[in-house]
Amino acid sequence: MNLIKVYKNTFLALMLSLVLSACATQKKVDDSQMQGDVYTGTDTVKYLASGVPDRVFFATNESILTTKSRDTLRKQAAWLRKNSSINVVVEGHADERGTREYNLALGERRANAVKDYLMTYGISSSRISVISYGKERPVDSGSDPLAWSKNRRSVTVKAN
Amino acid sequence: MMKKFKTIILLFLLILLPSKAFSLIEVDITRGNLNPLPIAVSPLATDSDSASSLNSELNIKNLGLEISKVVENNLRTSGLFNPLNKDAFLQKPDIAHLKPRFEDWALIKAQALITGKVILKEEKLRVEFRLWDVLAAKEMMALAFTTVPKNWRRVGHIITDKVYERLTGEKGYFDTRIIYVSEKGPKTQRVKKLAIMDQDGHNTKYLTLGNELVLTPRFNPTNQMVTYLSYFRNLPRVYLLDIETGIQEVVGDFPGMTFAPRFSPDGKKIIMSFAKDGNSDIYTMDLENRVVERITNHPSIDTSPSYSPDGKYITFNSDRSGYQQIYVMKNDGTNVKRVSFGKGLYGTPVWSPRGDLIAFTKLHKGKFYIGVMRKDGKGERLLTENYYQEAPSWSPNGRVLIFYRETKSNKKGEGFSAKLWSIDLTGYNERLVETETDASDPSWSSLLSN
Amino acid sequence: MYKNIIASSVLHLGIILIATMSLPFITKKPIELPPIISVELIQIMDKTNIPYAPKAKKIIQDVKKKEEQKLVSEQAPPKKVKKEKPDAIPLPDQKTEKIKEIEEKKQNPETIENEVKQVSEFEKDEIFDPDSIAALIDKSKEEIAESSKKSKLVTQSDDKTMNLSGLTLSEEDALKAQIFGCWSIPLGLPYNENLLVRIKLKLKPDGTVTKTEILDHARMNMPGQGFFKVLAESALRAIQLCQPLRVPTTGYERWKDMQLNFDAREMLEG
Repeated sequence: MNLIKVYKNTFLALMLSLVLSACATQKKVDDSQMQGDVYTGTDTVKYLASGVPDRVFFATNESILTTKSRDTLRKQAAWLRKNSSINVVVEGHADERGTREYNLALGERRANAVKDYLMTYGISSSRISVISYGKERPVDSGSDPLAWSKNRRSVTVKAN
Repeated sequence: MMKKFKTIILLFLLILLPSKAFSLIEVDITRGNLNPLPIAVSPLATDSDSASSLNSELNIKNLGLEISKVVENNLRTSGLFNPLNKDAFLQKPDIAHLKPRFEDWALIKAQALITGKVILKEEKLRVEFRLWDVLAAKEMMALAFTTVPKNWRRVGHIITDKVYERLTGEKGYFDTRIIYVSEKGPKTQRVKKLAIMDQDGHNTKYLTLGNELVLTPRFNPTNQMVTYLSYFRNLPRVYLLDIETGIQEVVGDFPGMTFAPRFSPDGKKIIMSFAKDGNSDIYTMDLENRVVERITNHPSIDTSPSYSPDGKYITFNSDRSGYQQIYVMKNDGTNVKRVSFGKGLYGTPVWSPRGDLIAFTKLHKGKFYIGVMRKDGKGERLLTENYYQEAPSWSPNGRVLIFYRETKSNKKGEGFSAKLWSIDLTGYNERLVETETDASDPSWSSLLSN
Repeated sequence: MYKNIIASSVLHLGIILIATMSLPFITKKPIELPPIISVELIQIMDKTNIPYAPKAKKIIQDVKKKEEQKLVSEQAPPKKVKKEKPDAIPLPDQKTEKIKEIEEKKQNPETIENEVKQVSEFEKDEIFDPDSIAALIDKSKEEIAESSKKSKLVTQSDDKTMNLSGLTLSEEDALKAQIFGCWSIPLGLPYNENLLVRIKLKLKPDGTVTKTEILDHARMNMPGQGFFKVLAESALRAIQLCQPLRVPTTGYERWKDMQLNFDAREMLEG
């Protein structure tokens, strides 16, 4: 009788922990794509060349480059050095949770953060132009933190 | 001398004594109803000759009735008036216009009455109207307008302005237009066009074809010029557009993005942000001599500038404190003072036409608010809260704010919409402003007439 | 050098061409601006009141009768309460009423003096040389200042007037409640301005208003005082709408002249 009860309890406990862990793992899906509120996933990322991601992501209201972003930009700089005939446009974007005009300025700031970093790795400023789209061109239509994190970005695009 | 004085006193006492045996009773009336004023808008009378020729020209059977409906709708949306149901009207329009039977109108609880007459004479439309105080049984105003027939809706708006001013003591805002950005298509690839419409949503016209992204159009307060941001040829620049001629030009010769434009109150300057190397500062350009002046010089983002109505001060948005806040400075850029100190982020400050208030957008704990504060930042009042809304624009009389609101969407972008809304300065009378398409970035014109 | 000039001129030409060819709206039709509307004033008619149709008259009379009946029935209960009072133990309310009366007697002379002062000032206005326009303008300015002073006086002496009031609290409340219901406060008014409208009434015993007089009448047509005018008109409408006023059934001599102070600030602020 007692044994059955113990079994029952352990069974329940096991089930419960399973359910809970399911919750936890679901949360982790989001977490694994965001560090702080900077997007770290690869959903929307395209590649300028093999192994050269085209975009970096930012925290809310920030234009500071993360370690990962700098890593990406060094790859871009190397690629640009190799392909000296290619010019690029850096597009700065913001999420939809800000006023339109401030977001235009913020996008410009983000695009320039990228441009400055590329320049410190020897890319001529004449090869890089910047444009800000503010919140006008989201890549993810959703209205949730993950979508917003994907939209806070600077994208390097081939200009020619 | 003394004698004279005494006789005067005596005289007064004589006058006073009979009526002032008891001291005058005073009763303080400190409350009333805040219901909108019941007003009867009688259909304007039209004689049969004018009616038939108007019908053939405009294809409107009863123009007098239609004009009265324009007036009625304006009055209702103002929130200050309650236009009464026409079915209850006892008197015929033509007779009422001559001499209303006030007792009849009082019976249906009307406190004010508008009557009128429409005549077509030598191709010209002549509209006459009278405003009556039903309870005092007297005429308050009488005016006539002459114009071309197709202009009839404007006549309705002008009548509303006159009535509104007479009954509220404040200038109206009905003979005005709203310029805005018409939006279509998926959220990730929105097609945006400049559009203009009458304040009541009629007569929508599109000013651009939608080939390039356009944003933030703003009226010149003195004429029919508009300034806005266009991504024409992928160069985001401030443009100037004359909606009368369709001619447009780039404002200034800036080596980078210019944005957030607005006219000075005298309409002679454009104030805007210029972004270079990751820093946005505020500049002005004189439209007459094309002289460009730098107003702010700070490594932070300075944007959304707006002049005070006397042109002496500028309010703007800056994150120099680390976060978006509202600042006020002199028009030469000196004496910069932060005025917003509440919790949250503040943006899009717009100085009211009366000069005492600044309207703004506030973001706090994931909610967006439209609010007003005094020009020193005190007396903050939040008028409306929503998931996303911003960019208030004042009605020319400073009574109503129009802004745009966006809704939440799912991953596929479903559920997303952008609409224009208006709200009274008091926080009451929030209304959806009907537009043909989705809409954002509204800007209210000044009064077209008078 | 030569090459450079050619290159530069070709480029410039190209830019001009592109600009003229592809600037937006150039192909778009300009919007037709509506022609200007001419405005004319129509003369306001002198006599606007005409005898109304007999049918309407009948309806109106019926309505009025009904309203009168209503009034009577509404006024009845407080009267009964009062009749009962003498039998019962004197309530604190009544005590204060008596005190009020005493105070009334004491303070009466004072207030009459006030009235005299006010009237004499008024009289001075008329004595003033009407030909001198400048003086008139000056005077009108003074008058505003004075009227605002007066209104301050009124508010300062509020306590007194309450005590002096010839109406009992319930009588006053009945009247107030009636006018509260009739007064549509103009919603567009700014609440930070001095918006006190004082109206003197002459009443018939049945509560019908025979005469209304706006104190500070000069403000009615003064530029920049549009709000005062609007408020004053709304107050007059309220009086008109409420007629006959809910006056006490007795003591006509007490209240045949009455002053109503319309103050919208409380409502507009809240």
